[in-house]
Amino acid sequence: MAALLDNLAPLLHGLLTTLWMAALSAAGALVLGVVVTAMRVSPVPVLRGVAFGYVQLFLNVPLLALLVLFVFALPDAGVLMPLPATAVVVLVVYEAAYVAEAVRSGVNTVVLGQAEAARALGLTFRQALGSVILPQALRAVVQPLGNVMIALVMNTSLFAAVGIVELTAAANKTNLVHAQPIPIFVGAGLTYMGLALLIGLGTGWVERRVAILR
Amino acid sequence: MTLLHDTPGPRARRRIFVWSVVSGLVFAGLLGLAVARFAAHGQLDAARWAPFAQWPIWQYLLVGLLGTLEAAAHVAVLSAVAGVFLALGRLSRVRVVRWLATGYIEVARTVPVLLMIYVTLFALPGVGVNLPLLWKLVLPLTVANSAAFAEIFRAGVLSLPSGQPEAALSLGLTRAQTMRFVVLPQAVRHVTPSLVSQLVSLVKDTSLGYVVAFTELLHRAQVLSAYNHLLVQTFLVVTVIYLVCNGSLSFVAHRLRR
Amino acid sequence: MNLRTVLVVSGLLATALAGCGGGGGSAVPPAATSPDLLTGAPIADAAAIPPGSTMERIKKRGKLIVAEALDAPLLSQQNPTNPDEVTGFDADLAKLLAVYILGKPEVEIVPPATETREALLANGTVDVVFNTYTITPERSEQVTFAGPYFLSGLAVAVKTGTTGIKGIDDLAGKKVIVGANTPAVTEVPKRQPTAAVISFGTDPQAVTALLQGRGDAYVQDLTLLASNAKANPQLTVVGNPFTTEPYGIGLKHGDTDFKQFVNDWLKKIQDNGQWAAAWRNSLGTVVDADPPTPPAIGSVPGS
Repeated sequence: MAALLDNLAPLLHGLLTTLWMAALSAAGALVLGVVVTAMRVSPVPVLRGVAFGYVQLFLNVPLLALLVLFVFALPDAGVLMPLPATAVVVLVVYEAAYVAEAVRSGVNTVVLGQAEAARALGLTFRQALGSVILPQALRAVVQPLGNVMIALVMNTSLFAAVGIVELTAAANKTNLVHAQPIPIFVGAGLTYMGLALLIGLGTGWVERRVAILR
Repeated sequence: MTLLHDTPGPRARRRIFVWSVVSGLVFAGLLGLAVARFAAHGQLDAARWAPFAQWPIWQYLLVGLLGTLEAAAHVAVLSAVAGVFLALGRLSRVRVVRWLATGYIEVARTVPVLLMIYVTLFALPGVGVNLPLLWKLVLPLTVANSAAFAEIFRAGVLSLPSGQPEAALSLGLTRAQTMRFVVLPQAVRHVTPSLVSQLVSLVKDTSLGYVVAFTELLHRAQVLSAYNHLLVQTFLVVTVIYLVCNGSLSFVAHRLRR
Repeated sequence: MNLRTVLVVSGLLATALAGCGGGGGSAVPPAATSPDLLTGAPIADAAAIPPGSTMERIKKRGKLIVAEALDAPLLSQQNPTNPDEVTGFDADLAKLLAVYILGKPEVEIVPPATETREALLANGTVDVVFNTYTITPERSEQVTFAGPYFLSGLAVAVKTGTTGIKGIDDLAGKKVIVGANTPAVTEVPKRQPTAAVISFGTDPQAVTALLQGRGDAYVQDLTLLASNAKANPQLTVVGNPFTTEPYGIGLKHGDTDFKQFVNDWLKKIQDNGQWAAAWRNSLGTVVDADPPTPPAIGSVPGS
């Protein structure tokens, strides 16, 4: 316990890093994921193909391999960003594929009559998607999106592998010095559970507010 | 899905064509730019890729892939079995069982796997539990994935129309029989897509084996890159291997469903 | 002790610098263990292996289980084209110890992620650790160290052509790359509190990061830096090492009989020339000098 309290400052600093990186990644992933979904259901074959390839790529490759590739291959492709920025970008594009999958399943739950009605009213595809289909689709997938966000927070722990000191890395470093694994890792684990609980409560609240009663 | 938009008329076809060409050019341009920059940095030089034309290098990586698949198979079987029981537990009418199952699931799916691996490595030996290398990876992954599988099975059970169990019960089947012969078979079929994506995700999770130094694909990539000093190339090759493996897994599952 | 370090190190440095001038861009394949290293290597008397001892357990099992890296060139590197071949200074010493106990170089390698070495020893997964394991008084509370068997030190490397960095003293306010879980993680902030430390998991990652400009300098063990500089002319080692890292052989905490046994063995291979031969086969290939005098056994705090 003492090991935990003596090192509160670095651990809190790690937690802070986890928080802001997760928040930024979550916002980015939600936006990009919705854009990818829109591409996937669009009538333009090239966009559909690109979106399909995008989702397949990021669903099938481990985040860790992507992190190493992005951190070390991007500079040779002419893009040298600071480490935290690179890590956030990787997490955004990775989790966006999961967001896209979730939102697409939401699109599938919207009954076809809705799309037909939108067309009958003379809405263009973009209008129908933006004002009729996506709003309903998103409301249907609040819970799955919440799960994607929980996974996103947990995935920030992999940033430790590319030199970013977030909560898991801070806990590991503290353990290396003090060799007190149980209090340190249990403390870190409880913190992650707390974050997940907050996200779970948040999504529950959002879901209650936006759910469509049929 | 296709009914989201009408069968296009002549004007829509023209517009789709224009969009296709424009977006095609943009994406091809971006890709070309990246490749050109890559070549300019010498990353596409033949000398940097020649090592990957050697069979022993591939053999080395494929043994790693075998380790990945071995660990993944263990985790998949154990978590699927545990997942069914946890799902049944969470749906149980006995309050204590329900609480226990719910508690386990909620903890296991909200703690990072990496942290669980650290616990297996550092905390378990302290209380006298020392596992073989494979199990140091399999155990934490199973703890996490069994919770995920449980939630998928539970969603499958809940998605069944209540008429199904009601009909089975009215035919005189016991609750256990109803679960075993009527509800579960249909529930599993319902959630096959989610099961496959969970399978793909656990194959990816085995890449955390690098922490316990278990011989899997990513760990071998790390050793290889130390030997040949070709970090970027090695990881590109490994990314493609993961893509092919997991992609074919999804593809086969897709086929089987038909 | 310090004089010896300086000698070893300046030899290494000379070659590292020379390598930068004219070296090719190809990888350095580690030299294979020459068979004559093991022929004539000392074997323990039956009297040295009493019943109930750790040594006897190893002998009964028929193989020595060692925690050593697979991705440390010159020290312990696996050959991907022949995975059974693991070579380098640490790897050769492990084989020699196996011969001493078993009469044959039967070694099973458990590659440790650096942070797990204490755990591997404590729970009996491995018998010994040969893993550039620096002896420190703090660590000796969890691990018993035999040795030291080698002295090295942390040094500074920069991208070739960098001006203004000549050693640790010039790193104030700079971005410094270090290997995760190496002594540099704590040593750099101690010497240069204003330096920003960025740690990477593996040595190749750290080198790539330095060459791509993610940091101004890379602080790592001199032996590793020298081998990198030889393989890659874009990397230059600057200045002298600024620490002394005595490498020890990690044993289970409190196993003093085994420690005495390993120290006896170490003395024997030093006297009989196997130690020097192992050095020539590995580190000696990048250093243009005679084998250094090995450090005195038990000469550092914690050993």
